[in-house]
Amino acid sequence: MSNENGTAYALTTYARVETGHEDALDAYLAALPTGADSPFARLDGVHLARVQVFRKLVHQGPHQRPDPLRHAHLVVSTTFNGGLDEHLEALAEHVPECDEWWGHCVRYPGRGDRAAFVAYVRSIQRRTSLFSTPFPTATVDDVRQSIALRAQVIDFAAATQHLSADDLHRRFLETF
Amino acid sequence: MGSAGAGPQPPASEYAASRGNVLGRMTALTLMTPVRRQWLWFLRLGFRLAPYSPLRDHIIQFNFIKYVRWVLVDGLDGEDLKYPYLHFESNFDGPWEHYIDAFAYVIAKDIRLTWGRGPDFPHPPPAEPLKDWIAANSMDGGTYYCAHAEHSTRDLQNALAVRDAFQDLRARAASLTPDEFQAAWQRFLTHEQTRL
Repeated sequence: MSNENGTAYALTTYARVETGHEDALDAYLAALPTGADSPFARLDGVHLARVQVFRKLVHQGPHQRPDPLRHAHLVVSTTFNGGLDEHLEALAEHVPECDEWWGHCVRYPGRGDRAAFVAYVRSIQRRTSLFSTPFPTATVDDVRQSIALRAQVIDFAAATQHLSADDLHRRFLETF
Repeated sequence: MGSAGAGPQPPASEYAASRGNVLGRMTALTLMTPVRRQWLWFLRLGFRLAPYSPLRDHIIQFNFIKYVRWVLVDGLDGEDLKYPYLHFESNFDGPWEHYIDAFAYVIAKDIRLTWGRGPDFPHPPPAEPLKDWIAANSMDGGTYYCAHAEHSTRDLQNALAVRDAFQDLRARAASLTPDEFQAAWQRFLTHEQTRL
């Protein structure tokens, strides 16, 4: 399944923006908090998320016929581990901002009706043609715990380099 | 960016990471470029077969991309587009300009086979026209999130590898004598030293 690689899933959606809502949507997205305050930080399983508006397509040059967009389109993409339905349920439960960005798009039903929300996102999803990553089975928890463990191992190695075998062994079992 | 007008491409040196696609060490690069319709079958087939060949991992061999996707978009709601489009989204450690030489010279064939299916693509090598093309096509703005934005791809790979090796040592530690453990610990440190 091309949306998946290992246990990682690439969700890509395209929603037509209501005419006249483009500037408000752009301003809303630009003002969203980032980092630990991002709405997506509430979802433990999400590695990456991108929410952006495509207003125009770039004309490539003399060998391309002009191909202008009639509407703006909201592109929401996420990368997470696990099943799509669980991810969509988590979005509906923990990311009320979905009502803000998709609320500017045609036919969005809102999060109130969970089944309708899930059906809507599935209806605007496009199948990923190819999805690649060097760590297809590592969850966000795996990554964070591994980084913390490596730091702990480094500290332990530095603190115990002159210990006897007995002390080293005992200290290791106490620490880890 | 995302301009519909024809004209000279902006030089890559003027490209600056825009708000909405940079976070910590991470840069999101998003491209949406046309595909000549007579080549759509080729890309569909190529992407379908790629998971079963080394091609899928060509782009991540450089250890600076965490996640990358390609999506063939044949039509958008309310549009009457003349071309299908290739949506590309990649997540780099740092500015993408640092890596284009790698793409242009190491996986140039992959690049040409994929994006060369579109009109007016500057087939690499050399790298400079490709950089200009990417800069012109980069779709910026919006919001961007990464759960591990302060850590590079190599950082994550190393940490995950250390975890796996450490878990093996930890599982055996209690059953070893102190001298056996000290020897195992030294072997662990020696083997993992480039990742610690």
